[in-house]
Amino acid sequence: MSFPLPEGGRKEVLKDVSFKIDRGELVYLVGPTGSGKSTLLKLMYMDNKPDSGTVRIADFRSDKISNSDIPFLRRSLGVVFQDFQLLPDRNVFDNVAFVLYVTGKKGKSVNNKVMQVLSRVGLNHKRNRFPHELSGGEQQRVVIARAIVNDPWIILADEPTGNLDPAVADEILRLILGLNQQGMTILISTHDYRLVKKFPSRTLAVLNGTVVEVDPESLGS
Amino acid sequence: MLPYSIREGLAGLKRARFSSIASTSAMSIALVLIGMFAIVTYQANSVSDWLRQRVGELELFLADIDEASAMALHARAEITPGVSEASYISKQEAEEIFRMEFGDEAEMFFDQAFLPASIKVRIAPNYANADSLGVLAAEFATWTRVDDVIYNQPLLVKVQQNLNMITVLGLSLGFMVLFASAFLVANTIRLTIYARRLLIRTMKLVGATDGFVRSPFVVEGVAQGIIAGGIAFALLTMIYSGVQNYIPQMTTISTGTGLMLGFGIILFGVGLGWAGSHFAVRRFIKKISLN
Repeated sequence: MSFPLPEGGRKEVLKDVSFKIDRGELVYLVGPTGSGKSTLLKLMYMDNKPDSGTVRIADFRSDKISNSDIPFLRRSLGVVFQDFQLLPDRNVFDNVAFVLYVTGKKGKSVNNKVMQVLSRVGLNHKRNRFPHELSGGEQQRVVIARAIVNDPWIILADEPTGNLDPAVADEILRLILGLNQQGMTILISTHDYRLVKKFPSRTLAVLNGTVVEVDPESLGS
Repeated sequence: MLPYSIREGLAGLKRARFSSIASTSAMSIALVLIGMFAIVTYQANSVSDWLRQRVGELELFLADIDEASAMALHARAEITPGVSEASYISKQEAEEIFRMEFGDEAEMFFDQAFLPASIKVRIAPNYANADSLGVLAAEFATWTRVDDVIYNQPLLVKVQQNLNMITVLGLSLGFMVLFASAFLVANTIRLTIYARRLLIRTMKLVGATDGFVRSPFVVEGVAQGIIAGGIAFALLTMIYSGVQNYIPQMTTISTGTGLMLGFGIILFGVGLGWAGSHFAVRRFIKKISLN
């Protein structure tokens, strides 16, 4: 995977990447800023397509998927973004419900499901608040609620604690770990090695464009 | 419960209040301009018909015949195709007109023999051109007991030429107004949707299809078009009543025509709102389809 440079030519970000995640696993994807972690996640939800090779997610293949099929892939994944990507003109309830409306659900089933996931992330009482009325941690909880409301088979969390202070970051990670303990498959990209050491699990590192398995204890601070 | 796209489209009017006001205002201005142009064109057509009818009047001078024969000719003229109305002028009436036109000097030139009875023919608007007038005059000239047919063909040709020129200028101006209005509306809608491009991106990132993203925006555009059409119709009604106070000669628009005009303006607003939002959203959706 490469990107064009402003001065011409291309910068190679990822090459020969191959890894497997088992159902129910929690996997960290670490690496310094700019190493290609976000690019790798974007390849998975097909916000980017590889220059060569194939990304295969469940039955979807990057070389065969049409643009009109990409939404169906994204509905089967739960994505947590570092910059939240909430709909600023909608309240908490509507932000979470949007994902259900997209799949054609309506009425009471939407209401029940949204209330259920908001309870899970502890934000039921703030369902009528707008994103700008929430703290960073609360906004990230809404994003997590939105990511899990469709019962995805994997959650891709792209630097979920990147914009949060350490205490709130711990709280968010505990919430994500809780989801994993309930059986959800999770891939978290982060450059916060402190968190990886504090809540250790299988860890992949993006190094020189390739993905390698590392011991979390061997990571620097 | 309303379908999602309608519910969200209507909610969008409230959510993006500033954008909605901007788009609706732009559409209202455009529709007022277009409506004013339509009214001016309607009035100009009425004036044009009136002018051509009067310039294209024919005078049929009758031979020395009795009143009954003259009335028979008058009746025949009235039912001739292309004739809007015909009026009979007897010798006595001709004398009165002569005296009125010449005033105190009338006695000096008065000569009964030179004032025959006549039929004044006003032609229908669609016959008010030089060719049809010539054909009609030739036909009247073949009638027995019609001594002479006079009309001012050169003046009609000149009036016709000037009206044609005014029509071309008017149409060019109309197209410019239409183009400027469409440009104003398209750009305003594009800017308001550009301001919400990140919203569109987020929707796509969580699995919304292009159609799902687009439909509420289109509903919003159509709703804005309906509101703008209503505003434009109200403004046009007020402007028209105001102008009519100053120019009472203006043709009065009947309630039926007025309602049709209102319906047309609202329909035009719907079209404008639909096209503007549909194409603007489609453009941004395509641009951010991948990264």
